[in-house]
Amino acid sequence: TLRLIYTTTAVQRKNVGASGPEKYTEAFIKKQIEEFNLGKRHLANMMGEDPETFTQEDIDRAIAYLFPSGLFDKQARPMMKHPSEIFPEQRKIQWGEDGRPFHFLFYTGKQSYYSLMHETYEKLLSVQKYQDQLTAQDLPPEKEKRNLAGSRWLTKIELEEMLLEKLSDNDYLRFIHLLQKLMTLPCGDMEEKYIQKFTREVPAQLQKVVIEPLKYDERGVAFSTGEGIRKTAKATATVYDNGTGKITVNGIDILHYFPVLQDREQLLFPFQFLGRVGKHDTICTVSGGGRSAQAGAIRLASAKALRSFVTEKEVEFMRQAGLLTIDPRVKERKKPGQEGARRKFTWKKR
Amino acid sequence: MAAPSAAGLRWRLRAWVPRLTQVRWSRYNPSFIEPEVNKELYQKPLEELTEEEKEKLELKAVQPIKAAPPTVSSSVFSDPMISKFTNMMMKDGNKVLARSLMAQTLEAIKRKQLEKYHKAPEDEKEAIECNPYVIFHQALKNCQPIIGLSSITRGGKTYQVPVPLKDNRKRFLAMKWLITECRENKNRRTLMPEKLSQELLQAFNNEGPIIKKKHVLHKMAEANRAYAHFRWW
Repeated sequence: TLRLIYTTTAVQRKNVGASGPEKYTEAFIKKQIEEFNLGKRHLANMMGEDPETFTQEDIDRAIAYLFPSGLFDKQARPMMKHPSEIFPEQRKIQWGEDGRPFHFLFYTGKQSYYSLMHETYEKLLSVQKYQDQLTAQDLPPEKEKRNLAGSRWLTKIELEEMLLEKLSDNDYLRFIHLLQKLMTLPCGDMEEKYIQKFTREVPAQLQKVVIEPLKYDERGVAFSTGEGIRKTAKATATVYDNGTGKITVNGIDILHYFPVLQDREQLLFPFQFLGRVGKHDTICTVSGGGRSAQAGAIRLASAKALRSFVTEKEVEFMRQAGLLTIDPRVKERKKPGQEGARRKFTWKKR
Repeated sequence: MAAPSAAGLRWRLRAWVPRLTQVRWSRYNPSFIEPEVNKELYQKPLEELTEEEKEKLELKAVQPIKAAPPTVSSSVFSDPMISKFTNMMMKDGNKVLARSLMAQTLEAIKRKQLEKYHKAPEDEKEAIECNPYVIFHQALKNCQPIIGLSSITRGGKTYQVPVPLKDNRKRFLAMKWLITECRENKNRRTLMPEKLSQELLQAFNNEGPIIKKKHVLHKMAEANRAYAHFRWW
């Protein structure tokens, strides 16, 4: 028989933080996955669709329809996703029944990071040995040019996800420097495969925007439209071909609408850059903002409209000249305890 | 399908926030690059580019680029030095006034040079420079000091130590001296453009109060040569 020993409430309270983040057992995760698949089929039946071909997008649409939520934060709304996306991946227990750890670097604390550095450095040494062999046999070293522009290194967060371990900034930088050193040596094919594990493709060009084809109006003249914004000013511009270079804003000629030379210079900037100053007619409408903001908005709108008239290379040149980017600078808000956005109140010693 | 617990999700789904809030920041992502407005650089055909330039072009094709500011344009008339000078002359954000003063200054310089040109004999006509932009650049170059003085405190006493200046600092000092000189040492009746054009022409010929100020600074630096070893950078 057991006897109740007197305990205080303080001792009985569990120390929640000591055990670390909640660990999910494998059985638990498997059960979650089964429940998710069953739930998916139920949902498909409810929506009247085929349970076999019910994709994740369909699930999202169904949940948004059945549980409408007005919350701003998308992560706070009801969601139904595969458990591998919801529960973070965790390390399984790293030591056996006798308490002895499996990995030889367990006691460093960051075992996967150090083992990765170890592997990379071994590869570096092997490449150097290979190079020395080649120079000993008097063969020329292989020189291959790798395309630097299309790839980028893993970010720190991606590396952390790969290793399932927290890294510090210095650790991450050391690893990247080691990879760069490995890459600069004339390496063979084996190293390329290893390095590719740590690179990601960057979309080849930032011309992800689709350029619209030219439209033709009743007289047979080609035209195209563009929209631009700058700091609260919104503008739409239609650029016509076979023109004399006149620009009309809200029905008024630019000489009367923009009395300042700087604004007119900005309006003509895209045309002057492409060398088509007297060839196009422009009709714009603009609202909101101030004098300079409206000029900037019309500049962006006419640059976007001109893309349809011009070759792809020239579009890329316009982008590199900064004509096609929306200027994100807006007025900074005033903070409490300060007089303006940056200006503080006069400092009084007493 | 069980609701995920808050403790397990937080570190995964929260966006990275820097420990300290930034003081010097911009609305652009740090990966954005400054735009290149000069038209001629883009008109070079592909074959003439060197290996380095081709690599740079490839890299640029992948990186996002900031929008061109409203003061910059690809026309012949926009000059970065002139814009910088106009901004320094500007008071209370009145860019319109500053730009008109700058335009009047350049016009005044052109007029004075043309007068000299028409009065000069045939053989001296070619030596007279009429382009106001060239005069402005040359005058600024003549006004730039080579060494500056920096105050360093050692053992309670402050010494003026001669120090080499960076390019930005030289340009800034030249422009600042020009503007303060024109604002303070003029008659009540003379307008800014006239006084500025006068000073610029004097600086172009290496005379005038600003060049004197530069020489004075150089002499001070030469006099304090003994303390040059106090500099640690």
